Amino acid sequence: MPSPRFPIPQGTLDMLILQILSLEPAHGYGVALRLEQISQSVVQVNQGSLYPALHRLEQKGWLAAEWKESETGREAKFYSLTRSGRKQLAVEKDSWARLSGAVRLIFDEGNRS
Amino acid sequence: MKWLLNWFRRGYLESGLDRELRYHVERRISDLMLSGLPESEARKQAMLELGNLTQVREEVRDVWLTRWLRDFVYDLRFSGRSFLRSPSFTASAVLSLALGIGATTAIYSLVDQVLLHALPVRQPERLVLIDWKGDQAANGFGSYNLLSYPICLDLQLQDRFFEGVICRAATTVNLSTGGEPKPTAAEIVSGTYFSVLAVGPALGRVLGNDDDRTPGASPVVVLAYDFWKTQLAGAPDVVGRKVLVNQHSMTVIGVAASGFRGIDVGQVPSLWIPAAMSAEAIPGFHDLLDRRTRWMQVLGRLRPDVTLAQAQVGLQPWFKAMLDEDTRRAGFPRITAERRQRFLASRLELTPAPQGHSSLRRRLSQPLWVLLALTAVLLGLACLNVAGLFLARGSARDREISTRLALGASRGRIGRQLLADSLLLALAGGTLGVALALPAMRTLIAFLPRDVAANALQSAVDSRLLLFAFLVSVAAGVLSGVAPALHAGRRSLISSLRERGGAAFGGVRLRRVIVTLQIAFTLILVIGAGLFVRTLTGLMAKGPGFATSSLVSFGLDPRRNGYSPSETRQLIRRVHDAIRSSASTQTSALARIQLLTGGSWNDAMTIQTDQRVTTDRDVNLNAVSPGFFATLGIRIVAGRDFDERDSRPEGERDGRSAIVNEAFVNRYLGGRDPLGVRICEGSGPDAKPNTEIIGVVADFSYRGLREESEQAYFASEGDGAGGTFYVKVRGTPEQAFQSIRTIIHNADPALPIANFRTLDEQVNRSLNTERMLAILSGAFGTLAMLLSLIGLYGVMSFVATQRTREIGIRMALGATGGSAIWLVLQDAIAMIAAGTAIALPCVGALGRLVESQLFGVKPTDPIAIAAATLLLASATLGAAFIPAYRASTVNPTDALRFD
Repeated sequence: MPSPRFPIPQGTLDMLILQILSLEPAHGYGVALRLEQISQSVVQVNQGSLYPALHRLEQKGWLAAEWKESETGREAKFYSLTRSGRKQLAVEKDSWARLSGAVRLIFDEGNRS
Repeated sequence: MKWLLNWFRRGYLESGLDRELRYHVERRISDLMLSGLPESEARKQAMLELGNLTQVREEVRDVWLTRWLRDFVYDLRFSGRSFLRSPSFTASAVLSLALGIGATTAIYSLVDQVLLHALPVRQPERLVLIDWKGDQAANGFGSYNLLSYPICLDLQLQDRFFEGVICRAATTVNLSTGGEPKPTAAEIVSGTYFSVLAVGPALGRVLGNDDDRTPGASPVVVLAYDFWKTQLAGAPDVVGRKVLVNQHSMTVIGVAASGFRGIDVGQVPSLWIPAAMSAEAIPGFHDLLDRRTRWMQVLGRLRPDVTLAQAQVGLQPWFKAMLDEDTRRAGFPRITAERRQRFLASRLELTPAPQGHSSLRRRLSQPLWVLLALTAVLLGLACLNVAGLFLARGSARDREISTRLALGASRGRIGRQLLADSLLLALAGGTLGVALALPAMRTLIAFLPRDVAANALQSAVDSRLLLFAFLVSVAAGVLSGVAPALHAGRRSLISSLRERGGAAFGGVRLRRVIVTLQIAFTLILVIGAGLFVRTLTGLMAKGPGFATSSLVSFGLDPRRNGYSPSETRQLIRRVHDAIRSSASTQTSALARIQLLTGGSWNDAMTIQTDQRVTTDRDVNLNAVSPGFFATLGIRIVAGRDFDERDSRPEGERDGRSAIVNEAFVNRYLGGRDPLGVRICEGSGPDAKPNTEIIGVVADFSYRGLREESEQAYFASEGDGAGGTFYVKVRGTPEQAFQSIRTIIHNADPALPIANFRTLDEQVNRSLNTERMLAILSGAFGTLAMLLSLIGLYGVMSFVATQRTREIGIRMALGATGGSAIWLVLQDAIAMIAAGTAIALPCVGALGRLVESQLFGVKPTDPIAIAAATLLLASATLGAAFIPAYRASTVNPTDALRFD
C-alpha cells in the first residue's frame, strides 16, 4: 500500500521552493525532483503548480533566473535566490517556526488534561 | 508597472515558458525511461504529473499580467476587431462622441483659463482679494474692487493675518524701447508684489520694497517674459537698458519669470512699474498718497495659520479705528452726517482670489457657463446617440452574446465586454475631439470681446485639459455603454437562442426612451438657440441709435508723450482743423470717454429745480466737443448743441452748460421743461448745481447696445487731456484712415493712434458675446437636431419592420395605407410629445441661467418656444414618416409570407 501523501498546505509551496533554492540554484525540474526527494514522497506537489509559483516568486524579485547549460548539456532556466529572497525565507521560516511551536503547545496542553 | 513591461515583452516570456516546460517534460521522460518504462508510457506519465499544460500556462500568464488586466486587454482587442468589421457604425459613433467631447473641451478650456485657472504663483489658494464694503467717501477710476494706495500700505502692517499685501492697477503707457512709442499694457504694482506672489526674475531682478519708497524716486521697470522674447528678441543685455515710459526715462532692472503673466487674465501686462512712479505712468495723476483716491486692487496672502474668516473678523477692529481716524484727518471731504454714518459703517471683505483679479472674468463668466451648459447638453445627446447605436447593434449581436453566455461566460463578463466597447469608442472619440477642440478654441477666442482676450487666452492643450477630455471621454463611454450593458445582462438566454434568425426584439423600449430624451435635449438646445438669435437680431435691429456708416474713431493721449495741457489743447485744435479741411473727411468731434466699450464715466448727480434732488442711480457722463452730436447724427430734441460759449473757463471745475438725454428727462424731469434746469455731478451737500441744461438729445448707446441709461454731457475740447475723435468721412473709411494717419503724423510723428476703427466694426465688436452665443447655440441646435433625427429614424425603421406583419394583416382585412401610416406615426408622436413634455419645464428652470444674456426676449418667450417646438416636431415627424410610409406600401401577401 502506497504511503499516504498529503496535499501541500496552502501557502507553504513558496517557502519550500525558497528553501530548496537557498541550497543551490536549480531549474524547475530540479526543484520538483528535490522536493520529492527531500520530503520523502510524503508531500504531494502537483508539478504543474510549481511553474506559476516560480514565476510569481521571480516577479516579486525573490528569485533571479538565468538560462544555463544543465547537467545533461541542454539549456535550462536556472532559478537562484536573491538577497531579498533570502530575507523573505528567513521571515517565513521564523513565522513557520512560531506557528508550529504554537500548534505544538496547544496539542501538548490537550494531552496533559 | 511591471505589468506594463511584461505586456511589451510578452512574446519573449511566452517562448521562455515554452522552453522551460519542454525541458521539464523531456527530462522527466528520459528519467522515467531510465527506470525502465517504454517511451510512450513515460510520456503519458510525465504529462499526467504535470497536469493540464494549458492551465499551467494560463496561471503563469496571470502572474505576469494579472487576470483583470489580461481580460481587459482581450476585451479591448475584441472590441477593436469588431469595430473594424462595422466601419460605418464605428465612424458615426466616434464622430458623435468627438463632436460632443471636442465642443465641451474647447469651451472648458476657456472656462478654465478665464474662470478657474489659479495663478502660477506659490500657494495661490492663500491669496485673498481685500475689498471695501460701504461708502469710501472717495473718487475712483478703474474697474472694480478699488482701494487707495495708503490703505494698501496700512494693510501691509496687519501681519497678524497676512504674510504680505500687494496692490496693483492696470494701465496703458506709451512705451518706447528705442523706436516709436507704442501703447503698451502695464501693471502698476506695490513693491511687495513680486515677493508676496513669489515670482522671481528670469533675468536681472524683480521689483522690491526699495523700488517703491519715495514717489518719483525709482524710475525702474521689470519686463514681462513674453514681451522680452517677442519685442526685444530676448536680448541678453536688456538689464540696465533705458526705456521711455510716457517719455520718462526708466531703467529695465529685470525680466519676470516665464509663465507669469500678471494677475489679470484679461489684461496681460508687458511691464511692471512701481507704484512710486504712478505719476509718470498715468499722466495727470498725483494722488498716490491720497487716501480718498481709489484706483488699485488689493490682494493679500493669508498667513498659513489664519483662515479667511478669522482674518476678516480680526481685521475689523483695526479697520473701524482707521475709519474713525480718517474722518479726523485733514483733507477728509465734508460730507453729510448720513453719508458719514455709511462711511463709518463700512467693513472690509475678503474673498478667495487664487485666480487673481479680472474684469474680463466678470464679463465672461455668465456667457461661458451658459456655453458650457449647452455643450454638456450636446455631449449628453451624443452619448444618447451612441447608446442608441449600441442598442441597435446589440440586437444584431444578440446571437453572438447568447452563444457566449451559453458557453459559460458570466453576465458580468459580457457586460464588461460591452463597456469596453463603449470605452474604446469614447477614447477614440475623445482623441479626435481634442484634435477638433484646437481649431474650435481658436474660433471661440476670435469671438470673444476685444482684442485683449486674443492676447491673454491661448488655444493650447495642456495636461489639465487633456485630463478633462479624458475624464469626459470616460464618462461619455460609461454613459453611452451602461444602458446596452445592463440590457445585455438582463436578457433571457433561452428566449434569444430560441429565436431563429429573425429580427430580435432587443431594447426597443430602451431605444424609445433614448430617442425621447434626445428629443427633449434637442428641444432645449433649439429653444436656447432661438432665444440667443432673437437677442442678437434684436440688438442689431436696434443699433446704437446713431448712424454708424461712414463714421470712424480713434484715440489720442498726448499727455503720455509728455505734452502739457496747453500743448495738448493746441494739438487737438490743429488735428480738428486739418481733419475738417481734408477732402476725405467731413466733420470731427472729440469725446473724453470712448463709446461702446462697456465702460463709462458715471456718477450720481444733483438736480436743482424748485427742489433739490439727487439721482437714485448713477448717470453716465461724458465730455464732448461742439459738433459731437451732429457728427454722430444724433437728433437734438430740444435746445441747442454746445458751441464756443460753453467751453469750460480756465480753473473752473465744472462746465457751465450740459446736455442730457431723453431718458434723463423722463426719469428725473418728467413733465417739466428741462431747459434751464441746473444740475451738477455728485450727490453730497457740497455739490453745487450750477451747470445749466441747454439741450436734450435723443437716446443712444453709450456703454453698449443693451443699455438704456440716463446720460449727461458736458462741453469740452479735451480739457488738456486726450480723448476719442469721432470723424464723419466722405468716401470710404480706408481713404479716410490714410489721410487721418497723415494728419496725425504731420502733427507729431511720435504720437501713437489707438483703436483706429470704423463705428460699424465697434458695434460688431460690442456684440461679440451675443454673436458667439447665437452662432454657437445655433450650431449646437442644428447638430442636436441631426443627431436626434437619425436616432428617431433608426428606431422608427426598426419598429416599422417589426410591425410589417401586423400591418400586412390589417391591410389584408381592408385597412387603408393612411391608417397604416398613422399606426406607425402614433409611436413617433408619443415620443415627440413626451420629449416636449420633459423639455419645457427644463427650459423654464434653465431660463434663469441665461436670462442675463438675453435682450428683448424672456427665457420663456412664447414665440421662440413655439417656433422651436414646431420646427422640431415637423422635422422629427418627417423623419418618422419615411419608415411609416414604407411600411404602408408593403404588399399584404409579402408581409404574411414573411415567416
